[in-house]
Order: sequence, then structure tokens, then C-alpha cells
Amino acid sequence: MGGFPFTIDVDAFAHLEDYLDKIQAHFAGTEGFEEIQDDIEMRMAELLQSRLKSKAIVNGDDVQYAISVMGSPEDFGVDEAIEKAFHRKQGSNYKTGKRLFRDPEDKVIGGVCSGLASYFGVAEPLWIRIGFALVGIFGGIGLPLYLLMWALVPEAKTPKDFLAMRGEPINVNNIAKIVEEQVEQISDHLSEIGQDWKERRRKKKSWKKRRKY
Amino acid sequence: MRKGVLELCILSIISEEEAYPSDIIEKLKNFELIVVEGTMYPLLTRLKNAGLLGYNWRESTSGPPRKYYHLTDDGKAFLSELINTWHHLVSVVDQSTKNLIGNE
Repeated sequence: MGGFPFTIDVDAFAHLEDYLDKIQAHFAGTEGFEEIQDDIEMRMAELLQSRLKSKAIVNGDDVQYAISVMGSPEDFGVDEAIEKAFHRKQGSNYKTGKRLFRDPEDKVIGGVCSGLASYFGVAEPLWIRIGFALVGIFGGIGLPLYLLMWALVPEAKTPKDFLAMRGEPINVNNIAKIVEEQVEQISDHLSEIGQDWKERRRKKKSWKKRRKY
Repeated sequence: MRKGVLELCILSIISEEEAYPSDIIEKLKNFELIVVEGTMYPLLTRLKNAGLLGYNWRESTSGPPRKYYHLTDDGKAFLSELINTWHHLVSVVDQSTKNLIGNE
């Protein structure tokens, strides 16, 4: 460490390694963090060296001493530079305009109507569907228009697409929300399949039973 | 606020002589401004990156070579500015608290 070899007992080593990892996590992303890390390691090495006058092996007490001099990351206080870096990370929601997508999660035919509904901020896609149906029946352009949009409007696939479809800013929180929703849907779907399968098995069994009689 | 004061103290200490972080800590500990050494390193690195500090490597009798920090010309100018601001601040605070005490 710090360009010096140390003989160190296993527990003390684990403790020291844990501490240095914590430091690294604390400063990661800060400007010049590699240098800070190096400085701290070097100083730790020096502190340990100064404890080794009459013995050869670094033990837990020595590591404890060096850490108490250096302090734990919680004691460092939030440095302005770190604070800034943190805010930069937090505030990285670049806004995107709303975009038109087809919504595969809420569709009757191609998801065109529900996509239009979220694009125009209509809460219930049913109204758009009724509108399309009416135009389809009376005007005759409803059906070709629908097919055209089905072909041209992309389907929302990634969480980013869903956010753009709803006009929400793309940031970590929102993406996490979308992913959660999708996982829920998948698990709902799975339990449906499971239910279905049980049902079928029951039918099969009762059928077998009937054959015995 | 406290950070700014800490910076002022560090720069003043370094302006007296080239200094090693743990020496700076020793001096600051007396004023109870700083508790652990870990606080110093990010601060020094930031001041150095801002061009206010420079450092030289010096061999040490015990342990790895040490970084000794000194003020650059920019650092000296910045320090005198800081000191002016500080005196101004102190006189303003003195004045306002004096009025308060006088009214009581």
C-alpha cells in the first residue's frame, strides 16, 4: 500500500480493505478522486509504518488506529465538489417532447387509439376508438387511416419509449417505475398461465376419473 | 460557510511555510475546526486543481514520500482577497452585534 509492502494479519486486512472500499465509493465521481484516494492510501501507509517500530505484523489495532486518524467517510462532511457531483447525477433528467407511439399494453387491435389517447392526454382511449369506428362506418376513411397509422406509428418497446409516449421526463426514477410496471404485468401474465394450466389439469383428472368408472 | 473558513485557515497555514497535510491537521485540531484527516484530502485536491496550490514530493524518513503543499501566485492573490473579505465580514458582524448588545 502506498508503495510499501506490509505484513498484515487476515482480519486486519479485511478491515482495511473494507475501509478503503468505502472511501472509494464515497469519492467516486468526484473531480480528482483518484488523487484523493492515492493521498489517503499513502497517508494510511505512513500511519501504519509509524506503528511498526518494534514489530513486524500489522494487526487489527493498528488498522483501527489509522482509520481513527483518517476518519470514516461519514465524518468527512459533504464537500461542495461532491455535493455538486451529486446534484449533477440527480438532475440529469433531460426532457423530451411527447412522441406518438402505439401502446402495446392497452390495445384492442394495434394500440393506435390508446397511443393517440396518451398523446393527446385523453384519459380513456375508448372515446378515440368510438370516434374511429364512427368515421369508419360513415366516412370510409377510418379504416384506411387506422391501417396507415398502424403501419407508420412505431410501437412503444423500451421504457424510454413509454415515457416519451406519456410525455414524462426521462430520468432514473421514471424508468424504474416503467420497469416495475412491466415486471408486474409479466408476473400477472404468468399467474394467469399457471391458473389456466391448473384448470386444464383438473379437467384432465376428472376426465380420467370418469374413465375408471 | 464553515468550509470557506476552513479554506481560509488552510491557505493561511500553507502561506507561512510549505506544509504536509497532517501538520496542517495538527494546527487545525487546536481550533476544533476539523476532526479527521480525511476531510483535508479532497479539499487540498480541489484547491490544487483550482490552481491555488502546488506541491513538491519530499522523501520521508518514515514511510512513503510526502506531498508538501505551497501557495501558487494565484493562491497568494486569492488568499489576500479572502482575508480582506474576512475582515470586512468580521467588522460587519461586530457592528451588528454591538448594536444588539447596546440596545439591550
